[in-house]
Amino acid sequence: MVFIHQFYFTSVQILPLFLFVAVIFGSLINGMAFQVVKNLGLSEYLGRLLMGFVVTELSPFVTVLLIALRSSSAINAEIAVMKVNRELNTLESFRIDLIHYLFIPRILNGMLSMVLLTSLFALVVLFIGLLVSSLVFGTSVDAYIDTLLHSADLLDIVILLIKCATFGFFITMIPIRLGLNASQDLTSIPVAVLNGMVKVFLAIVTIEVLSSIVRFI
Amino acid sequence: MEGFLADHKSHLGMVSLEVPLISNLPVWSNIALIRQYHENMPWEEAKTQALDLLQRFGMAAAAEKRNPSLTAEERFCIMLIRAAMVRDAVVVLDRPFRILPDLPDGRFFTDSLRKVDDLIAEAHIFDYNWEKERYGATDDAED
Repeated sequence: MVFIHQFYFTSVQILPLFLFVAVIFGSLINGMAFQVVKNLGLSEYLGRLLMGFVVTELSPFVTVLLIALRSSSAINAEIAVMKVNRELNTLESFRIDLIHYLFIPRILNGMLSMVLLTSLFALVVLFIGLLVSSLVFGTSVDAYIDTLLHSADLLDIVILLIKCATFGFFITMIPIRLGLNASQDLTSIPVAVLNGMVKVFLAIVTIEVLSSIVRFI
Repeated sequence: MEGFLADHKSHLGMVSLEVPLISNLPVWSNIALIRQYHENMPWEEAKTQALDLLQRFGMAAAAEKRNPSLTAEERFCIMLIRAAMVRDAVVVLDRPFRILPDLPDGRFFTDSLRKVDDLIAEAHIFDYNWEKERYGATDDAED
């Protein structure tokens, strides 16, 4: 039940904003990519550009930023407030395991949401790519899909999925951990959230760098 | 009191300011949570039980409220119902006049306990010695 609630807050409530951002980013990136490819006469590299940059790099990065801004901060504040209000004592008093009730559903939800929302972002961007491709190059749907499939690398997809799950793990685990650092004082809540969000950002950058190293070396 | 709580830990149902309601859950969910987690009860069934118990206290309308919007009396009753959701509960009212400081005496507590009498195995009230007159006690009250 907690997992379903968390999934709803993270992956469903965010959808209007998320789709709006995906369409805006998708249009911009596709517009720029197609312009460059057309001007340089590199249309044979279009699929590689879309799969190698837009799908495996841009999609998880934009997704993790959106989820971190919205859900990680919420989780961080929620746990800190529970600590200040002694609500964690309540769970302990009634022998409700904090790890099972609070932590695991949030972390699993973070991992699943990251994978699904990244996939959705990539699909939206690729669909916009199809529209732009047919307008700019007059490419047919079959030819566009064929180009993408030929450019898809299984290892890249595996690294992408692992990266998304790793993002999801850390952008939920860090806020939980930092939220627990709050004291019994109300003023410790903003400090806990601030510290948590800074560490989330550092984790995102670190994972991004590590995944690039794994991919390109 | 600590020794008593430790001895009855497995069936303990605390009603105390130190054990507040979870503020980001509605009232019914605070109550249902206990059996959902202790007995793996489906949430629909746990919710039905929670609503039935709220009905006993004439508080069905408070089911969707959250902790900050409750009156002190509602808060006490909901904490008591939550404590009673523990199977064979040993309910402990920990300094209940801290939750309801304006009550003239302890009759509200005993009346409330009677409403969940069928659910609980034992009920104990721990309070300061100076509050014993409010319970109508003489000289055997505990500190």
